[in-house]
Amino acid sequence: MLEELLQQLQAIAGDAKTALAAAATPADIEAVKNRTLGRNGAVTALSPMMGKLPNEDKRAAGMAFNEAKQAIQAALNEASARINAKAAEEAPAVDVTLPGRQWPFGRRHPISQTIDACCSIFRRMGFIAVTGPEIETVWHNFDALNAPLNHPSRDPQDTFYLPDGRLLRTQTSAVQIRTMLGSKPPVRIVSPGRCFRRDTPDATHGVHFHQLEGLYIDRDVSLADLKSTILKFAKEYFGTDVKIRMRPHFFPFTEPSVECDFSCVMCGGKGCRVCKNSGWLEIMGAGMVNPAVLRNVGYNPDEVQGFAFGFGLERLTMLKHRINDLRIFSDNDLRFLKQF
Amino acid sequence: MKLSLFRLKHYIDISLSPEELANALTMAGLEVEEIETIGKIPDGVIVAKIISRRKHENSDHLSICEVFTGSETLQIVCGAPNCDTGNIVPLATIGTVFRDGEGGTFTIKKGKIRGAESFGMMCSAKELGLSEDHKGLMLLPGTFEIGKPLQDYVPTDTVYTLEITPNRPDWLSYWGVARDIAALVGGELKFPAPENVPTELAGDWNNLVTVEAPDLCPLYTARVIRGVKVGESPAWLKGSLAAIGIRPINNIVDITNFVMMELGEPLHVFDMRFLKGDRIVVRRAADGEAITALDGKTYDLTSNDLVIADTEKPVAIAGVMGGEYSGVVNDTTDVVLESAWFDPASVRATSRRLGLSSEASYRFERGADRAMIVPASNRAAQLILELAGGRLVSNLVSVAEPAPAARIIDMKYDRVRSLLGMDVGNRRIDEILHSLGFDTVRQSETGASFSVPTWRELDVMGSADLAEEVARIHGLDKLPDVPIKATQSDISRDDILKLTHLREEFVAVGLCEIVSNSMMSEASAIRGGIFEPADLIRPSNPISLDLAVMRPSLLPCLLDAVRYNIARKNYDLGFFEIGHVFCANQEKYPEERDEIGIAITGCAHPERYSKERSAQYDFFDLKGILESVLNVRRIASFSFVPAKDPRFAPTCCAELIIDGKKAGILGQAAPELTKGMRLNTPLFIALIQLDAIFGAREKSLYYSPISQFPSVSRDIAFIAPAKLQNQDVIDFIRKQHLPFLESVSIFDVFEGKAIGEGRKSLAYSLVFRSPDRTLTDEEVNVAYEKIRKALADGLKVELR
Repeated sequence: MLEELLQQLQAIAGDAKTALAAAATPADIEAVKNRTLGRNGAVTALSPMMGKLPNEDKRAAGMAFNEAKQAIQAALNEASARINAKAAEEAPAVDVTLPGRQWPFGRRHPISQTIDACCSIFRRMGFIAVTGPEIETVWHNFDALNAPLNHPSRDPQDTFYLPDGRLLRTQTSAVQIRTMLGSKPPVRIVSPGRCFRRDTPDATHGVHFHQLEGLYIDRDVSLADLKSTILKFAKEYFGTDVKIRMRPHFFPFTEPSVECDFSCVMCGGKGCRVCKNSGWLEIMGAGMVNPAVLRNVGYNPDEVQGFAFGFGLERLTMLKHRINDLRIFSDNDLRFLKQF
Repeated sequence: MKLSLFRLKHYIDISLSPEELANALTMAGLEVEEIETIGKIPDGVIVAKIISRRKHENSDHLSICEVFTGSETLQIVCGAPNCDTGNIVPLATIGTVFRDGEGGTFTIKKGKIRGAESFGMMCSAKELGLSEDHKGLMLLPGTFEIGKPLQDYVPTDTVYTLEITPNRPDWLSYWGVARDIAALVGGELKFPAPENVPTELAGDWNNLVTVEAPDLCPLYTARVIRGVKVGESPAWLKGSLAAIGIRPINNIVDITNFVMMELGEPLHVFDMRFLKGDRIVVRRAADGEAITALDGKTYDLTSNDLVIADTEKPVAIAGVMGGEYSGVVNDTTDVVLESAWFDPASVRATSRRLGLSSEASYRFERGADRAMIVPASNRAAQLILELAGGRLVSNLVSVAEPAPAARIIDMKYDRVRSLLGMDVGNRRIDEILHSLGFDTVRQSETGASFSVPTWRELDVMGSADLAEEVARIHGLDKLPDVPIKATQSDISRDDILKLTHLREEFVAVGLCEIVSNSMMSEASAIRGGIFEPADLIRPSNPISLDLAVMRPSLLPCLLDAVRYNIARKNYDLGFFEIGHVFCANQEKYPEERDEIGIAITGCAHPERYSKERSAQYDFFDLKGILESVLNVRRIASFSFVPAKDPRFAPTCCAELIIDGKKAGILGQAAPELTKGMRLNTPLFIALIQLDAIFGAREKSLYYSPISQFPSVSRDIAFIAPAKLQNQDVIDFIRKQHLPFLESVSIFDVFEGKAIGEGRKSLAYSLVFRSPDRTLTDEEVNVAYEKIRKALADGLKVELR
């Protein structure tokens, strides 16, 4: 009897496997499950035989039942996995090539980005960025900076004046004066901002432009510190290949005064149209703050000294992004703004 | 200023190449802007001799010449009038390449001109770039060997264009530049002016010069030369002026220009016939006096102007320009040579006031070298006698105030090293300063006192200036790389960092930053009716009416940016700007403040597809942008209240209130503002005061405990009059002080036919939660019923 039972169980399991291998739909699988393991299924139908077996055979029969059920279940699982996989493969997929639902960021205006980029480089060197008014007094803008009374930049031909004699600042150095008047050394600031000059607008001039000036006053700040600071800035802004050179120059605000050239970022210093074949670009004016300026803000030039520098942000931006007409900056064309 | 290297070498021995010298000068602060080679003759141009000339049969003006090249005889067709037999001329042989002015080239080829073969081109001086002379072929002297390259006889020269900083008038001459070269790289200086000039005294000249304004002219010298012959200058003189862009005029004028370039001292020569009373009076002009200057224009003078006069009238504007009727002319024979020092400020003021400047005024207003007055006179007198003949019949007549003592500057060596951060020894410092004409007058262990040379007296004031000289000559390239020093910086005082954060927040909500002009027309500025003409700040000297006033608000800038883009079919715009705006009326606004402007129009998400693509920006996008930014900044108290403002549509305008104060305004732009802009979609604008955001009270830094217990939510929907505003409902619900009410928020608004005219359906979600236990349904239902009743009774809404 045991023998017969075992054979039947094997036969049922074998049939089920064969049927499942051929199953094509979930319904086929369900049918096999019902006719084998279901309430009226063939395996279930054999279970009464268990009771009729002698006790010594019951254990072997029990094991055979379990094996048969497990084998069928495994075949069921396998078949249903196969069918599911096939169904999944055939199901229409999400078109992942459709555009994602963006939350597009806006863009910063390139001049504004340049201000930030410069400030953040100088900030890492210990400079903080401060701002000031665009309407200035003649004293803050010229006198305190040691600009001679007859300096051409004071001419109404070049500078916008208000009826009360004040002016639209021509450089952000006035912020340095305000800062020095308001605090004791050490002072380590950069002052970016908008300045005005009475230029007829063209590709390289506008009535306003943006400038960044730096100032570092302490007991022993030197021209060598200036050079190192500018070199570090140049390398961070334009890349480590950039070289700088300083040439003596003249500004009333500084003594000694230098002009600082960067190796041409267009040609790498080989010479091109932009650098007029010199390999160098004039980028900034700088120098050691003139003792007269220090005296004007109540500092004692025998006790403190320091450097100042300044450069145009439009020019830097134009070089960085290869822009050749600065009027595009204030057109605010969306197609331009989105490039940055 | 231009300098010829050929000429420069007359004053100093130079062993550097033209490029090396240019670099050395540039690195010493005398920037060489351009290096130009002049006198370069194309290869293939040789010395040739015309051996016959006959008329071209088919032409009125062409000739057919036979030209000997030293090895063969060539037939050349020539149009020049002077291609006469026997003339020695430059010949460009076949294959010679000429450059035209615009970077192009042309090559001489064998050609046929009106049927006659031609094997080259005979050249004018202009064609060879040697002068402007194009009247005929350049005629060469018989000493030039036929067949030799012409270049063998024509030296090339290098001409530098220099940018001279205003503090260095001493560089406005060959001598001054030579002096710095000597300090820089060494080389023997050769001073060109003679100590004495041969004189044949005749006459009494003691009263020749009277100086009535010694404050403006502390040193005036004059010399009388009789019997000069005015004529063309010799080639070397013309050439040396032409090389640096000065047009030769006649020998006397050329000499004064030459000496000015040589020694830096402007000179003037008067024809004695035009000096009434044979007198020179240096005086202030009388008010109302006028003079016709060499430029042919008449200038009205004032008592602030210094003039050179005779006994009757001004004959020159001192240091600026000579008079038209007192200068050297072709038949001039007796002259007075002026060499003087004029007060820089006075020359500058006169030059500026008259709008008249010259090479002379350029130098005087920067400061000429007093010590060069006499040598320059000597040098000019010498050259006049040599090149124009005549006799020097006077000694140097000189009217001089006592010369000011040289400035003495005390300098500490350590201070120079500290300022420069450069290791340069005391002896090197001394050596540099001595080489530049600064003499040691006192010496101690730690410092020294130096006298400032006359040619630097307006420039070098203190020891910082001496440090600059040391740096300049020692070389800035020797500055060491030093580590960046650390200082404590108070980052909370960083103004830009704060702005950067705010700008990045606007970028994060999808807005593009714009940067606009600060100046605009009055009409643009007052559009919108908030600002009146009297509120505007106006420069007194605007550049044009379009840029006549300072922007009182960013509104016109935003409108301009939108208009510009719409005209270019950029329809979907989200812009912001942060910038200074200005107001003259302090009752309205401070004079200068920072404003934030936002403008949105078109589709909010043109990068999406289906329905989402066409969703247009509306008021709630604008409000949401502000809410997002205010929330991320953790601003404690802000609200939006309905408002009326002429700049906005009456149906869509709100004020932003922060901490109970008006912080800005937003809404749909009024139709008057957008007229003519061809907008397809409404434009929404916000104008917010930056201070209101930066000064706003922030939420507490302390955290609120988070409840561990679940929430229960209930929805309430009702139909209300259309006028009932969301905030009223929320405020009303809040006012009921329901226990455990955690939040209340609107989740639906619906208006439509189904609801009926003048009504709308509103739906709110209420969330209840206890911090310390799980709420029961019964508790929540009690609250829920209470609120339903309160709404029905209090707000007269129809519960659904």
